[in-house]
Amino acid sequence: MPADLRSLAEIDRVIHEPARLALTAILSVVESADFLYLQRETGLTKGNLSSHLAKLEETGYVTIEKTYRGRIPLTLVRLTDAGAKAYKAYRERFKRFLEKA
Amino acid sequence: MVDIEKIEKRTIQSFYEDGLTEIAMGLIFLILGGYFFATTVVPEGSALGAVLTGLFVLIIVSAAFLVNRFLRFFKRRITYPRTGYVTFKKKEPSPKRRVATAVVAAIIGAGLAALYGLSPSVKLLIPAINGLLFAVAALLFANKVGLLRFYILAAGAAVIGLGITGAGIGDAKGISLFYLVFGAAVVVSGAAALIAYLRRFPRPAGDAAEGPDAR
Repeated sequence: MPADLRSLAEIDRVIHEPARLALTAILSVVESADFLYLQRETGLTKGNLSSHLAKLEETGYVTIEKTYRGRIPLTLVRLTDAGAKAYKAYRERFKRFLEKA
Repeated sequence: MVDIEKIEKRTIQSFYEDGLTEIAMGLIFLILGGYFFATTVVPEGSALGAVLTGLFVLIIVSAAFLVNRFLRFFKRRITYPRTGYVTFKKKEPSPKRRVATAVVAAIIGAGLAALYGLSPSVKLLIPAINGLLFAVAALLFANKVGLLRFYILAAGAAVIGLGITGAGIGDAKGISLFYLVFGAAVVVSGAAALIAYLRRFPRPAGDAAEGPDAR
């Protein structure tokens, strides 16, 4: 297999999924964001957003903190160091691939 | 295909779409304009003059704090309940960048001092120089954020500065006029963005009175 294709085959599939890629791209810029912000920015439904965040949390790429502000539930999402590293690696690898293509 | 760079830029833009940052900055410029205007009215060497000098230091030192408090207060009440809570990473400038900024500031300062030394009539050029410096800063910021209204403000800064110098109003009066007009333009730009934001994102029914606190 050519090196370029091998590189693409090794791409992180957790991040590569479009909705999760959008989520990690947003979280790479911010310190933390709540559920409403992520839903608005990605245009995902509540159910979809929850399941993608759960997948990212399961992989250790994000932390989800469920808290309250007064009586209002607040779900804060942060990219972990592992998530930031994986996103950076994905970004570089994909950029290299596109430049060669 | 997901355009990662576009998403990252859009995320940064989201911080400015409520116009609150411009309103806060514009108000600081208006205060500075008011200060410079006061220096043209108060006689030099008077007790009030000394108070004004102290006030200037206070404005400069507390500007960042005031802008921060303003944003915290209004984002909590206007933005977070509508479009969600988000905090951005605070990037500390690298030592290289700090040095570069200091060098550029020193060159500009020395250049202005040298020009003034050559001819006091250079005072007339101060609003134009201010306008061009603001235009460059706004242009760099607009490029980073990618919002059209910041490009317009950059052009506006240059036009206002050059216009005041062109009208023959220099020195403190010219500077005062520059900050007052440019400050008003920035506030108007922010207010227009805020109105558009409020129309686009009405407050969700039965939602929280306040969003979470900014950190």
